[in-house]
Amino acid sequence: MTNFAAWSVRAIQDGLAAKDFSAKEIAASSLENIAQTDKEIHAFLEVSENLAYEQAEKIDAAISEGKFAECGFLAGVPLAFKDNMNQVGTKTTCSSKMLANYQSAYSATCVEKALGAGAIPLGKLNMDEFAFGSSTETSFFGPTKNPWDTSRVPGGSSGGSAAAVASAQACVTLGSDTGGSIRQPASFCGVVGLKPSYGVVSRYGVVGFGSSLDQVGPLTKTVEDAALALNAISGFDARDCMSKDIQTDFTKNLDAGVSGMKIGIVPAFMEAPGLEREMKAKVLEAASNLEKLGATLVEIDLPHAQAAMSAYYVLGPCEAFSNLARFDAIRYGYCDPNHGDLGSQYEASRGKGFGMETCRRIMLGSYLLSAGVYDTYYYPAQQVRTLITSDYAQAFEKVSCILAPVTPTTAFRFGAISDPMQMYLSDMFTVSVNIAGNGALSLPVGLGADSNLPTGVQLISAQFKDENMLQVAAALESCYDVLRIAPPFAEGKVGA
Amino acid sequence: MTQPLSEKDVRAIAQYVRIGLPEEEIGQLTIDLNNIIESLEPITAYNLNGVEPTYHPIDGLSNVMREDTEGTSFTQEEALANAAKHQDGSFVVPAILGGGDAS
Repeated sequence: MTNFAAWSVRAIQDGLAAKDFSAKEIAASSLENIAQTDKEIHAFLEVSENLAYEQAEKIDAAISEGKFAECGFLAGVPLAFKDNMNQVGTKTTCSSKMLANYQSAYSATCVEKALGAGAIPLGKLNMDEFAFGSSTETSFFGPTKNPWDTSRVPGGSSGGSAAAVASAQACVTLGSDTGGSIRQPASFCGVVGLKPSYGVVSRYGVVGFGSSLDQVGPLTKTVEDAALALNAISGFDARDCMSKDIQTDFTKNLDAGVSGMKIGIVPAFMEAPGLEREMKAKVLEAASNLEKLGATLVEIDLPHAQAAMSAYYVLGPCEAFSNLARFDAIRYGYCDPNHGDLGSQYEASRGKGFGMETCRRIMLGSYLLSAGVYDTYYYPAQQVRTLITSDYAQAFEKVSCILAPVTPTTAFRFGAISDPMQMYLSDMFTVSVNIAGNGALSLPVGLGADSNLPTGVQLISAQFKDENMLQVAAALESCYDVLRIAPPFAEGKVGA
Repeated sequence: MTQPLSEKDVRAIAQYVRIGLPEEEIGQLTIDLNNIIESLEPITAYNLNGVEPTYHPIDGLSNVMREDTEGTSFTQEEALANAAKHQDGSFVVPAILGGGDAS
C-alpha cells in the first residue's frame, strides 16, 4: 500500500483533487504504516484511529460534492500533534505520569485550526516530560528513537514530532518550542522545523512551560509544507492574550529567491566552543550557497547573545515553576491514594507524578524567585532580555535574515549525556530567539561529514517577518538534494 | 553571588513546592542545582544600570480585554471528569485542618 504520509502536502492534495485516491485511503495507509514502524520508533503515545477515519469521511464527502477546494490548507494531510496539545477525544499526557490518564477537556486552538483546515489526525506524539529536555529521554513512557539511527536520540523536546516526519509516519506534525524544542529535533532527524515569531500561533490549550517563550509550529519534510501548515494554524485568537493579529500568507515569498537580499552571519556563533567541525562546515556551505544564489552576506554582532543561555535558564524555570503549580492532584492529575491530610497528598502526588528533570526545574524556579535571589538573577535576566531583543532589532535593520548553527552537534546516543548542564548546551544557538520572540527555523542540509548523521542550519527572522526566513529557506533548500525521510523508511516519494 | 545551596536548603525548597522527594535523591539534586545556579553567573556580570526589564516579547502590549458577553463553559460533569475523587458535584480532598478522617 502506498504510504501517503511520505508525500508532500501538495502531492497529496493534487491526488485528492484528481480523485486518484481517497482521504480514507490516506488514513488507512498512514495508520497501517504507524502500526508497522512505531514498535521501532515509538513516536506515538496514542493513535487516534477513529478520529482519523471520521475526518477522512468528511473530506471524501466534500470531494464527492465538488467542494474539495473549500476544505483548507491541510485537507487530507495526515498529521499528528505533540502530546502537550489538548485534543478532544485523546489524552494529553505531556509524557508525564502526572497526566498519564488525563482526557483532554477541550481542544487547543492549533488543534482546532489544523482540523478545521482538513488535516487527518493520526494521534499524539512523544516528548520530553512537560517539554523539559532535549532528547525525549525524560518521557515517562520511554524515549523515541531517531529513525536515522535507532541507537540515538531524536532530540527534544518535540522528539516524537521530528521522528514521525523523518520516518514517514505523518506528513506534518506540530511541536512546541520554548528554547529550541522544534528546531533541535528537526536538525537531529533531518526535517524542517519552524518556530514562528511569538504570538503568530495561539498557545491556548497547549500545556504551558515558559509562557513568555512558548510557541507552536510545524515539522515537515519541505519548506513549502511548513509554510502551508503555518498558514493553517496561525491567526488571532482571543483566548491567548499574546496572540497577534497578522494575516500573512507564509507561502507568498517562497519563489522569490534571495538575489540582492542581505543575510547576517554572527562570527561569535561560528567560534562558539562546542560547535563541532562538521556543523560549522554546514553553516559555511549554506553561506556560500546563498552567495551563489545572489545574496550578500553581512557580519553582524549580537553582543549579549552569550548571556542568552543563563537568561533562559533563569526565565524558563521561573515560568515553569509558576505553570506547574497548578498540578494539585485534586482537579486532575496523578493522585497518590490514602493520605489523611492534604499536605501529604500534595507532596506524594507531585513527588511521584513528576520526573526528576521536572522536579529540578520547579525547584530551581522557586529558588530563583525567592526573596533576595530574585534581585540577583530574575530581574537581571529580564533586563538582559531587553538587551538581547535590542541586539536582534538592530541586526534586522541591516539584514533580512540571519544564518546560524542550530545545534552544536548531530544526534547523540541514548544515555550519552547524563549531566543536566551538558544537556542544556544543546540549545545554545536556539534560546536567544525565544528570548527575543523572533521566528526561526531549522533547514536540513544533508549528512555531516564526520558523523554521517542529519544536520541542519538555522535561519532567523525579525519578529513577525517569518515570511523572510521562509523565502531564504526555500531558496537554500533548492541547493540540496537531501533525503527528508530516513533511508529505512523511505520507500515513498517526497515531491511526487 | 549567592551561597551554594545546602541539602537542608534543598529539602526546604522541596517542601515549599510540595514535592515529596526520597531522601536518597537529595544529595545529587543539591549538586545538580548548584551546578546549574553556578552556570547562571554571567547574568550577574553585566552593567544593567538603567536597563528596563522585558517581561514578554511583544512590544507595546497593554491589558487585553474582551467584550463582557456570555460564553460557554464546562459543565459540572466535564469539570469533574479528570478528578481522582468527586462526590455530589464537588472535588473531594483530605482534611485540611488536621485530625480529620480522610474518607
